[in-house]
Amino acid sequence: MKKKIIAGLFGLLLMQAAFAAGTHYEMRVDGLACPFCAYGIEKKLKAVDGVSDIKVDLNKGLVSVNMAEGKELSEEQMKKLFKDAGFTYRSMKKSPL
Amino acid sequence: MLKLLKKIIIGLVAFVIGLVFIVWLVWIPSATGPGYSYVLSWGSKGSAAGQFNDPIGIATTATEVFVSDARNARIQVFDYDGRFIRQFGKKGDGPGELGRPMNLTMAKNELYVADYFNDRIQVFSLDGTPLRSIGKHGSGPGEFNAPGGVAVGVNGDLYVADFYGQRVEQLSSDGQFIRQWGNTGKVGIWAGEFNYPTDVAVADDGTVYVADGYNDRVQVFDAQGQFVRKWGGPFGMDIFGPFNGWFATVTSITLDKQGNILVADFYNNRVQKFTPQGKFLSSFGEKGTGDGQFQKAIAVAEGADGSVFVADFLNNRIQKWKPIP
Repeated sequence: MKKKIIAGLFGLLLMQAAFAAGTHYEMRVDGLACPFCAYGIEKKLKAVDGVSDIKVDLNKGLVSVNMAEGKELSEEQMKKLFKDAGFTYRSMKKSPL
Repeated sequence: MLKLLKKIIIGLVAFVIGLVFIVWLVWIPSATGPGYSYVLSWGSKGSAAGQFNDPIGIATTATEVFVSDARNARIQVFDYDGRFIRQFGKKGDGPGELGRPMNLTMAKNELYVADYFNDRIQVFSLDGTPLRSIGKHGSGPGEFNAPGGVAVGVNGDLYVADFYGQRVEQLSSDGQFIRQWGNTGKVGIWAGEFNYPTDVAVADDGTVYVADGYNDRVQVFDAQGQFVRKWGGPFGMDIFGPFNGWFATVTSITLDKQGNILVADFYNNRVQKFTPQGKFLSSFGEKGTGDGQFQKAIAVAEGADGSVFVADFLNNRIQKWKPIP
């Protein structure tokens, strides 16, 4: 019985770790003008391995994504991605999921 | 000394007033057409039938209105009074599947869809059967990098606004490259160059009208591909504003039955109408959520009875307007 409880608790811990895995990124971008741009950024971010839950707020100039555990977004990578999409990358904030 | 200073100030003020008057006279035309009045609207945010999540493109037949419901990855079909009839398409990249359907065009009872994420033009029958697909991702001839809009000439040629390609491509009906306008991948503000073209329309005589999105202007080319004219603000050179004949991001363009040009003026929350020569005729719409108000007018199409249908982007609805006699 004791072993079962320990195994159960261990399982719960693993599940929690799985749900908590990954990183949320919020990036500030200049030059977002219309949904055509927003979709363009989504299209490029979709192609990055590990990216999910992409959101683009045109009015605030904010782009947020979630990254899978073990995957990272670098500032250099984002600068290039946004430049290719026609916009200017400004800053990045990240927080654990 | 004081008198001289006074004279200089008066002279400067007179100069500025004169300049403003000239700008107003030359670049801010008055309406010369009768305009349109609001009729009705339909839709709200959601994914159920009749709801929208980013309505972004619109086209009509004699009796139906087709709407590209971008984030729901589908085309919805309504009658002229907004009653839901059917829908087709789902998220994906297979035949008949859609990755952000954008501006639409109807030609010979076939629906042409600019399939933005999938870098292709998809053609559907009116009942939603996928018929064919044209183009693939790339920057070469006949390839696309985020197509935003499409038009079809009387001979079946396709004209595609290649948003990230910074060009408009003319293709034969089977997708063979004929010519392009603009420098591939390069933004420009001079005649024949583009700054994120969003849509295109073609007249029966082959004249091509391009919604030059972030240049805040319309560019016109003749059937031989030669630049004819441009308009939108002073000199038609990426100068945006809220005045008659000016734009703040052009997202859709279409011709009415008289050959006049209807333009969706996104950030100005209105539709503007021009003669083929670019003379301002009238406009309708203002910012808001009430009847006849827009939260970003993104796409426009004319119905067979002269009604004009507008995709009201952030309000997630379609508006119907009728011409004032």
